[in-house]
Amino acid sequence: MSSLFRGEDMTLCQIYFQSEAAYSCVAQLGELGIVQFRDLNPTVNAFQRKFVNEVRRCEEMERKLRFLESEIIKEKEIALTDAQEFCEAPKSKEMIDMETALEQLEHDLQEVNSNKDALKKNYLELQELRHILTKATTFFEEQDRIQTGEQTVLQMDTQDRVQPLRLGFLAGVIDRERVPSFELMLWRICRGNVFLRTAEIEEALEDPKTNTQVNKTVFILFFQGEQLKIKVKKICEGFKATIYPCPETASERREMGLGVMTRLEELKTVLDQSLNLRKSLLTNAALNVKTWFCRVRKMKAIYHTMNMFNLEVNQKCLIAECWAPVNELTRIKLALDKGTELSGSNIQSILNRMETKEQPPTHHRLNQFSEGFQNIVDAYGISSYREINPAPFTVITFPFLFAVMFGDAGHGLIMSLFALFMVLRETQLKNKFKTNEVWQIFFGGRYIILLMGLFSIYTGVIYNDVFSKSMNIFGSSWKVGVSKDFDFEKVTVFDLNPNPNVNRSLNEVKMYSGTPYPFGVDPIWIMSINKIAFTNSLKMKFSVIIGIMQMMFGLVLSLLNHLFFGKMASVFFEFIPQVIFLTFIFVYLCLMIFIKWIRFDGSPNSTQCAPNLLIELINMFFFKSAADEDSCKALYSGQSIVQKILIVLAVLCIPTMLLGKPIILYLRHKRKSQSGVRLEEDMRHMTELSNNVVTSDSVHQESTYLVNSEAELLNDHDDPEEKFDMGEIAVEQCIHTIEYFLGCISHTASYLRLWALSLAHAELSEVLWTMILRIGLQSGSAPGFVILWLVFVPWAAFTVGVLLLMEGLSAFLHALRLHWVEFQSKFYKGEGYQFIPFSFQQILEQAENPDQL
Amino acid sequence: MFLDVLFNIDNGYLEGLVRGFKSGILKNQDYINLVQCETLEDLKLHLQTTDYGNFLANEPSPLTVSVIDDKIREKYVLEFQHLRNHAVKPLSKFLDYITYSYMIDNIVLLITGHLHQRSVQELLPKCHPLGMFEQMGAITVADTSASLYNAILIDTPLAPYFIDCISEHDLDELNIEIMRNTLYKAYIEDFYNFCKELGGPTGEVMCELLAFEADRRAFMITINSLGVDLPKDERSKLYPRCGKLYPDGLNQLSKAEEYDQVKMIAESYADYRPLFENVGTNPGDKTIEDKFFEQEVKMNLNAFMRQFGFGVFYSFLKLKEQENRNIIWIAECVAQKHRTRIDNYIPIM
Repeated sequence: MSSLFRGEDMTLCQIYFQSEAAYSCVAQLGELGIVQFRDLNPTVNAFQRKFVNEVRRCEEMERKLRFLESEIIKEKEIALTDAQEFCEAPKSKEMIDMETALEQLEHDLQEVNSNKDALKKNYLELQELRHILTKATTFFEEQDRIQTGEQTVLQMDTQDRVQPLRLGFLAGVIDRERVPSFELMLWRICRGNVFLRTAEIEEALEDPKTNTQVNKTVFILFFQGEQLKIKVKKICEGFKATIYPCPETASERREMGLGVMTRLEELKTVLDQSLNLRKSLLTNAALNVKTWFCRVRKMKAIYHTMNMFNLEVNQKCLIAECWAPVNELTRIKLALDKGTELSGSNIQSILNRMETKEQPPTHHRLNQFSEGFQNIVDAYGISSYREINPAPFTVITFPFLFAVMFGDAGHGLIMSLFALFMVLRETQLKNKFKTNEVWQIFFGGRYIILLMGLFSIYTGVIYNDVFSKSMNIFGSSWKVGVSKDFDFEKVTVFDLNPNPNVNRSLNEVKMYSGTPYPFGVDPIWIMSINKIAFTNSLKMKFSVIIGIMQMMFGLVLSLLNHLFFGKMASVFFEFIPQVIFLTFIFVYLCLMIFIKWIRFDGSPNSTQCAPNLLIELINMFFFKSAADEDSCKALYSGQSIVQKILIVLAVLCIPTMLLGKPIILYLRHKRKSQSGVRLEEDMRHMTELSNNVVTSDSVHQESTYLVNSEAELLNDHDDPEEKFDMGEIAVEQCIHTIEYFLGCISHTASYLRLWALSLAHAELSEVLWTMILRIGLQSGSAPGFVILWLVFVPWAAFTVGVLLLMEGLSAFLHALRLHWVEFQSKFYKGEGYQFIPFSFQQILEQAENPDQL
Repeated sequence: MFLDVLFNIDNGYLEGLVRGFKSGILKNQDYINLVQCETLEDLKLHLQTTDYGNFLANEPSPLTVSVIDDKIREKYVLEFQHLRNHAVKPLSKFLDYITYSYMIDNIVLLITGHLHQRSVQELLPKCHPLGMFEQMGAITVADTSASLYNAILIDTPLAPYFIDCISEHDLDELNIEIMRNTLYKAYIEDFYNFCKELGGPTGEVMCELLAFEADRRAFMITINSLGVDLPKDERSKLYPRCGKLYPDGLNQLSKAEEYDQVKMIAESYADYRPLFENVGTNPGDKTIEDKFFEQEVKMNLNAFMRQFGFGVFYSFLKLKEQENRNIIWIAECVAQKHRTRIDNYIPIM
């Protein structure tokens, strides 16, 4: 069987590597990506494992690479070159070369950086100084004016003081946002004895430490006396203000300004040179960074895997255990051979298959098409090993059930065009919007959406719904014809009658052509007032028929599962009662639907007689039938008797299923424990029995296995059926029985959601048409053109936003539920665990997008 | 009770977040693994498998303990600041209250550093990032506590706590220590009243925690001042008055002259009696500080049992701090190859 149907046949393998060859062999297996290694030393700490040093060195290299990468990204002009198409895992001895190369690069870069930082700091200081000098001129001019005024006053007052009052001053630069608190603190500490002038520097300056642009302000402080000077200096220090020497006289300032300008020029050229050096260094590195990343990550993954291996006692070889698909074993062997060859070792690695009682991981071979559908199934539970995988059936049933709820050809067309766009542009779109989660969901389900769209077109044509309107493609089978004396004044509601001339002399003209509309619902219905009543009855019945078909199919699959696992007891005491119950009650209901459709046509007598099927079904359980009261209501002769027999037989299935299997299992167990000797022919039953037990507590087994895998290997022949627990089996079977028989009823009812949602969708889109778009269509020509143009926008927005997205989402969820609960509960256990192969491709992808899992 | 219904409107997200952060706190198994580490690199490797993730991935080797310390602190400070940035009143106020204690520590650190002739630029990086405030840099301008208040602290939220320690004395070590304790006393009492005002689960949980904190300080002040020349009435002024010891216990403590007397006082309080048992200074014995830390961890973990209160935010920070101390203790032991006392961390479970 193909692997999608049941999953790959897996086996546990043991591989003996020669220690020198292990590295390259694992590298080959990683390229292959088809084996899942098991951790053989789960109790050993991460830092006590054998190859922890190598892992650590790889991490160190990764750190250096990240540093390089971040530096390259900072430099906007340099683009990172993508990794080579195929970057081979480096040989283990290449590690040292790579390390030294990276070490050298990092060292060079750091040197250049520190050089650049020093230059930049210098540059910044000079810039600040230049600003101070220019701003200070204005300050001093003002101050001079004040001072001369003050001086004259002072000199007049105090004649004996010869020396004019000299004010000390400090000039500096401070971050702009610190100015207010700086001012406040100065005022507080110096009690208002300081005069502060500030001026903003218009251009933003670059902070060499953080490489960000900062706004700064020049300030100048005037004060009197040494005491204040010390305090003021401390405050400046506390606020990280830089103080620059500023000469007092204007001529000196001008001179200094000139000097600063020339130094700035010089520094600029030096700085440019150092930036160029850095740039060329980074440009060179940018070519290789991605490839290095790829190589280092592969190397790290290899050592990480090798940490899971066991060491042979004499240290000559490494032992690994892994899960692998059986039909890949030859490829694995080839990879091992190639690895050995590359490493130059002459002793082959040995691959042995191992026997195990443990449940192997589940592996489905997928492509981008089946992937989406498999995800739908896996979201419910990974299938148990080798049980039937619902995914291949889901490919058709899922979009179909969706479409039944979403039946509108117009909406389906939009949806499939969108999906088609994603499918055709697959390769281009794959790497876009990687971080956009919503887009990723849509993109991941592109094939599902495509099929959903196509099926919606199909069901839309059957419902004859295109944006809630019908299309008259083949010509309706009905036409309105009236006799000449027909009084249009009196009649408000006009009946179309398939059988003319029966009772009413009024309708003599034949209205029904005699042949039904070739495909789907007749478009005449869109004009009738009882359209909803008609479609409801139609869709409801279809829902039930579809639902019962799907459940029956689920039961057939469960039969295949029972046969595959050799569980004959389950076939006779589970499958057969289940099928009988479902057939005798619910398939019979479907049969009644068909009979009713055929038997009761539009003739007046038969419409009166047609029985209500729901009531009929309920009455069945009370051994009553509508046919008993009125023979014209009978669907066929002898209906009452047949129904009684069916019910009795169906109810008898319940105890059969409840008791049959536990009793059989008990008898088998008793016989076995009495015989004591395990015969060869018994083995088949044994496996069957063990399968039952194993699946029930496989989770428990799995966890214990991880802890003491070694112990389990020794006790490999201890069969789990030793712990036979009658009580547990009985309780489980009881739950199972109740679940199934009640489930049959509730699940059938649950399928009515197909009708309900399809009704809701049809009604919503009709409302949208009549409330919005029709306003535009009804208006006259010239204004109508404008109104239609205006009205189309909300109509289109609502169609996409509400009908396509919201309704689509709800229909999707309901289809999902119908699959998970109603369909899969019939046969699917979903107690397996995923096969996660050791694959470089996946490891690299994960490393590239750490956010995604 | 009814207001609990509305708790989640403003604070539900943050509470969920903090509980998530709390579940990332290292478990006993992690400590067992950490203790086995041979080098700091091993330690880093193991911390990578915990909630700390790749927090050391970009540090060049060789690692030092102080780098680990900085990174751990950076991580929980980041978490706390994230919480603070998303908080609204009264939770934001509550979170601010938590940061005040770090401010006090920072001020004391700066002043003591200044007394020992260290430059501010050297001291600033050592300050706790949660207790940063703008005027901190200029703290060295002040030489008396009055000028400290008038110039610097008046703009900070600590100003009201400072009223009691304004004096014209020069700042010396004893004065600073007294100042720290006076500030703390005022702060704890204020915080206690604030929590009490909030009431509900916040009040219940936090009052319990703060009462313990207050009593711990009272005990520690007494024990530390036993040999010091500190007048008794001066000492009693430093005791925070919101704990269970108030008023009788504090009264007795202020008269205590020997360690045994302190122990006697603790005997009469069920909460504190066990803490003074089995305490010793011999190697292998637990110190009284450790005992108090253990008790604190226990109480902080209990705070997580209550919902609809702010106690979890306080407790989370305290637990993280304890974890930080634990890891650093282990890291120091590993780095100095001094393994005999490596087990003296305080497990959080």
